[in-house]
Amino acid sequence: MRSLTPRRIFWICAGLAGILFVIVVFSLKVGAYPMAVGDVVMTLARGAIGHWNAIPSSDRLVVFGLRLPRIALGILVGAALSVSGASFQALLRNPLADPYVLGVSSGAALGAIFSLAWFPREPWTMQALAFVGALVTIAAVYFLGRRGGQLDSTTLLLAGIVAASFLSAIIMFLMTTLSGRDLRGMAFWLMGDLATAPAVRLGFLFLVLLLTIGAIYTTASDLNLILTGEQEAHHLGVNVPRVKLVVYVGASLLTGLAVSVSGAIGYVGLLIPHVIRMIFGSDYRLLIPASAIGGAIAVTLADTLARTIVAPTELPVGAMTAAIGAPVFIYLLKRRLA
Amino acid sequence: MTTMNSSAGTLAGWMEHPVRLVVEQAQYAYSAAAPTAPKFTLGPVSFTARQREIVGILGPNASGKSTLLQMVAGEFNALSGRVELDGKSPGALSLRERAQRIAIVHQESNLLFPLSVWEYVLQGRYPYGRRLRFENEADHLMAQNALEQTGAEALAERRMDQLSGGERQRVVLARALAQEPQLLLLDEPTRHLDIGGKVELMRRLRRLTEQNRYTAVVVTHELNLAAQFFDFVVLLHGGKCVAAGKPEEVYRAELLEQVFGTPLEVEKSANGRPRVILQGAAADGDLSEAEGE
Amino acid sequence: MISRGVFLLRKEMQRTKHHVACASIVALIYGAFSSANAWAQDSSAAAQKIGTERLTGMPAAKRTVIDESGRKVEVPARVRRIVTLAPNLAEIVYALGAQDRLVGVSNFTDYPAEAKSKPSIGMPVNPSLEAIVGARPDLVLATAVNTWETVNSLARLGIAVYTTDPHTVAGMLRSITDIGDVIGASEQAQALVQKLQARLDSLKAKLANASPVPALFVVWDHPLQSVGENTFIADALRWAGARSVIRTKQNWPLVSMEEIVKLNPEYIIYAENHMGADSGSDSAKLANVPAAIARHLNQLRADETWRQLPAVRAGHIAVVSDEIDVPAPGLVDVIEQLAQELHPEIFQKQNQSSFDNFLQHRRNAPGFPNARQSFSPEAASCAR
Repeated sequence: MRSLTPRRIFWICAGLAGILFVIVVFSLKVGAYPMAVGDVVMTLARGAIGHWNAIPSSDRLVVFGLRLPRIALGILVGAALSVSGASFQALLRNPLADPYVLGVSSGAALGAIFSLAWFPREPWTMQALAFVGALVTIAAVYFLGRRGGQLDSTTLLLAGIVAASFLSAIIMFLMTTLSGRDLRGMAFWLMGDLATAPAVRLGFLFLVLLLTIGAIYTTASDLNLILTGEQEAHHLGVNVPRVKLVVYVGASLLTGLAVSVSGAIGYVGLLIPHVIRMIFGSDYRLLIPASAIGGAIAVTLADTLARTIVAPTELPVGAMTAAIGAPVFIYLLKRRLA
Repeated sequence: MTTMNSSAGTLAGWMEHPVRLVVEQAQYAYSAAAPTAPKFTLGPVSFTARQREIVGILGPNASGKSTLLQMVAGEFNALSGRVELDGKSPGALSLRERAQRIAIVHQESNLLFPLSVWEYVLQGRYPYGRRLRFENEADHLMAQNALEQTGAEALAERRMDQLSGGERQRVVLARALAQEPQLLLLDEPTRHLDIGGKVELMRRLRRLTEQNRYTAVVVTHELNLAAQFFDFVVLLHGGKCVAAGKPEEVYRAELLEQVFGTPLEVEKSANGRPRVILQGAAADGDLSEAEGE
Repeated sequence: MISRGVFLLRKEMQRTKHHVACASIVALIYGAFSSANAWAQDSSAAAQKIGTERLTGMPAAKRTVIDESGRKVEVPARVRRIVTLAPNLAEIVYALGAQDRLVGVSNFTDYPAEAKSKPSIGMPVNPSLEAIVGARPDLVLATAVNTWETVNSLARLGIAVYTTDPHTVAGMLRSITDIGDVIGASEQAQALVQKLQARLDSLKAKLANASPVPALFVVWDHPLQSVGENTFIADALRWAGARSVIRTKQNWPLVSMEEIVKLNPEYIIYAENHMGADSGSDSAKLANVPAAIARHLNQLRADETWRQLPAVRAGHIAVVSDEIDVPAPGLVDVIEQLAQELHPEIFQKQNQSSFDNFLQHRRNAPGFPNARQSFSPEAASCAR
């Protein structure tokens, strides 16, 4: 009888990483600015060895200034959202949970609106205020979601939904009463947008991503047990309140991170964990890393399509994930019922 | 026949089984949800149990059976008196140590995501590894063993949600066995089973307790099954322990009638164990069906 | 004993190997993405230096200007390649005669018709940065419809972005002047502004004695939305001898029917969304407008509340081109037409001749399509 070994995890993740690599290469090639594969390769090669001057300036700008950072951002956001979704599905014991169900994205959106209304010109305030909004929401929902001193799945879910509705109401109020011109950027933010570079260095964001996913990963075995029942897990020796806290904070942080830099991209956090489960099983020791890479693949692919299908018009990446995600969701539903 | 237990240093001749579980004058009290509700008091309860013994906790609903079980499980400490498992109070142990000694067989809750029987049983090995662990050979051996002992090894590759009630019961039991416990606790394990399933479970429990030298404490409504299979019963009524002893000592018609509030008869069955009969029942006394839910 | 020690040691080494493997993967990922970031920043700095050099063959001469939002922008002394991020900006570039230097326009840039053949760089709100870079512009023109994100992203890539932000008709004239200065077409700008200003002044003179017509400008009918005092449209209305009955600081207020009944506008003005209308030949467009007025009138008369309004009963509906919200020279045409319609008594005497003059003017203007008009319902009576 087979059971999960580090080896199996490694090979599956390596396979997925391979797929990601192919998509990255594809994404580097296509775009509104036409480049032949050869040119892309030459640009990358010259950049890798440091011969910057040999590269035509616009090629260099497009590959290193636009596409590569955008792809990197897509990988970051996709990984964050998928792991967050998978974690919330375990924490809330609900297969329909996604990264936004606890209201983090609404809090971030509110922060973004504040920045658009009052500090529209600074390039970094939108992301900073969005992140602050996310943090405040995380704290508020935490305190609302407790029961008997520890996080309770049902109470948490209710608290999150209430918070999300309340914040959405405020957002709607603001959008109606503030002058329309300021908030034009908001529509794109609400649908997800990878075009804006993050205010903080990408490397730093990735470090945060890896550390947070790592922290959640340490509870992977615990999550497997908790999914068979909290009482059962407790009796097997799992420190359930501690695990719930770690997972809540970690997953919310991942959502806040993703949403601050790219707006609310939907369907990724909900569907990727399910797809991975369908193929590889529900063991969280594999689900977490596989979802991360799977999410990266999904977002990168969606963004590539979003910016090339009707180029030069750029569709919001969230529209693409919804267009692909909704049929996939329906398919998954039918599979389960079949 | 593999024994899975190494008891903590207590030697015994093969005739005499050492005392393992001691509950002495244990008392507990708690308030129900509403602040104006009266405090519910449990106890004082006293009984001991040895290796290879099954203790039954009987009584009407809300008599404190589950509370007593939780106290034995170490969920909370007794307010007075003591509970000791092999000399240690379960409430004082860490969660992990508790899980290595005490296995609780649950009514299985709804599984959200597909899980194979093998994975489920392997989870019973959790108390023995590091935090982020991958199961090793020893774990596989134990899990395999547990499945064989419960007669479920053929189910290993099946999915949990595809099992019947009886099969699931066996698998849940297997997971408990995989914990290599000294104490098995079961809370109304026969609730969803038909009569055949109930008897099968009791027989299996008896066999495993003998084989692996467990001590088992079972909360149940099944008076007759308890009488047949258990060594010792504790009868609770409104939080008080009204009787504790062998079934033939505890099952007295007047006492049972008083506790359960319904006319009953007690007679002796062929093997000397008592049998409870619904007084005035037209059908032959299969009390368990009437008491069932 | 020894074998057990060896076993333990091997386990330890295995564990260490795992830790080392994990750590190196983490380091690799971090390194990769840090470099990506560094490369991005490097390349923009280099692009700034290299880009213009390659184009002109000599070190770029730059001058610093302050754009209409107060940003300092470094603009090349000679601007050869221009990208516009909004349709009105392209229209201004054409009006200044600089269309040969226009290398990229935003979607839906339809005025003048030739602009449709220019390469597109995407929507105004979220343009394709790649396409903009690919057009290798010396200067990008932006305005209020563009987001600060776009402007900042372009600036970060080392591309000069000049933003205009007109809130009034006078502001629009100043924008024309500013843009003219920045792209090196100051003379043409001056001439154009003078002409436009003259027309506006003459209009102002004619309307000096007339009281402004209270009007409701309908941006959208379900929900009913109008314009606030600080909008461009409100200012255009003022120039046309009207005033919006809605007085609020919000730009796009939602109004209730009660409010309308209370305020009792004399005229109801709609903007014809030209994206929905035929973008075909001009004559087809002319035919649409009376039909549009008739359509609106029928809709309003069918509604219980609307038909009670004096304006609706009198048939005082006006339809203007949606150019009324576009800060570009064509706006003056729209203002004049609207003024004519709202104050027919003032323009009646000169009706025929001024109309002809107007058409003449339109036909002669470089690259401009012919009449975008509003018609009074009387003229469209056959269409009703």
